[in-house]
Amino acid sequence: MADHIDIVEGAQLPVLERTIELADMIAYAGATWDWHRLHYDPAYLAEKRVPAPVVDGQVFGAYLAEQVLGAFGTRAEIRKLSFRFRSMVFAGETIACHSEVSTTEPTSGGLIVGVAQKILVGDRVAVAPAFAEVMIHE
Amino acid sequence: MNRLLTPELEALIGTEAVYSSAEPLGQASIRYFATAIGADNPLYTDQDAAREAGYADVIAPPTLVCETNQYVDRPRNEDGYIGHQWDIEVPGTRLIRGGNEYEFHQPVYPSDCITAHWLLAEMSESISRKGAAMLFVISEVRYTNQNDELLAVNRETNIYQELVSDG
Repeated sequence: MADHIDIVEGAQLPVLERTIELADMIAYAGATWDWHRLHYDPAYLAEKRVPAPVVDGQVFGAYLAEQVLGAFGTRAEIRKLSFRFRSMVFAGETIACHSEVSTTEPTSGGLIVGVAQKILVGDRVAVAPAFAEVMIHE
Repeated sequence: MNRLLTPELEALIGTEAVYSSAEPLGQASIRYFATAIGADNPLYTDQDAAREAGYADVIAPPTLVCETNQYVDRPRNEDGYIGHQWDIEVPGTRLIRGGNEYEFHQPVYPSDCITAHWLLAEMSESISRKGAAMLFVISEVRYTNQNDELLAVNRETNIYQELVSDG
């Protein structure tokens, strides 16, 4: 895990990149009990006229969460996370999670941090807007 | 006048479905999920690190409780899917995912037996810039453990988009 960034408004979190191979998608499908054929079945994809296996959208929430927790360390606890899908991502593509500290608010026991996030595939927006609210415990 | 949101569909608002896991989440499920997403956070796999950070045991990656279908007991459908669906039919549309809003209320442990409480919370219709009708279906899912403690809430938006010709 990364260790760690200065938590000030405007601070950029280290970009989290993942090339999502079909094997990663199979692993995620198994881990989440989601065996929808859209994520792996060539015959099904051909019938639906989809060019390649489609990455499960909810995995992007997992990546956004891991980016934040990796940057803020084990004292961080995500309270809220929201994200909207903009375009499909296909097997073999490389995603990049970009995040910036947008708000900080001291509170009893720590600091509440707002993080504005998005996911790009090259110049294409895959997920945006996205937002995390994180409690950093003292 | 709505093109997609019929009175029959509107009557489904407020429908509920509840699924309870047959067993605890388990440490292996947590490690499997963490491995699948490439997470190296020691809180997911190292009990000593988790206890040092103030937790009773290793914890699940926060989004796991909202992403897994482990608790569902439905048969696999023709798409290969076993997760919850409202089985809504909207002719002349394609289904696209809108997004998710998660709230995390407390850490999820391997010993937690998860119950998912699904509510069909809202339906609304709007028209896209290209003139296609879009039906927004918002589900709210509350996840609780064996002590009825709230673990997380997931508001999920699915969109039925009318198929329109370009011509």
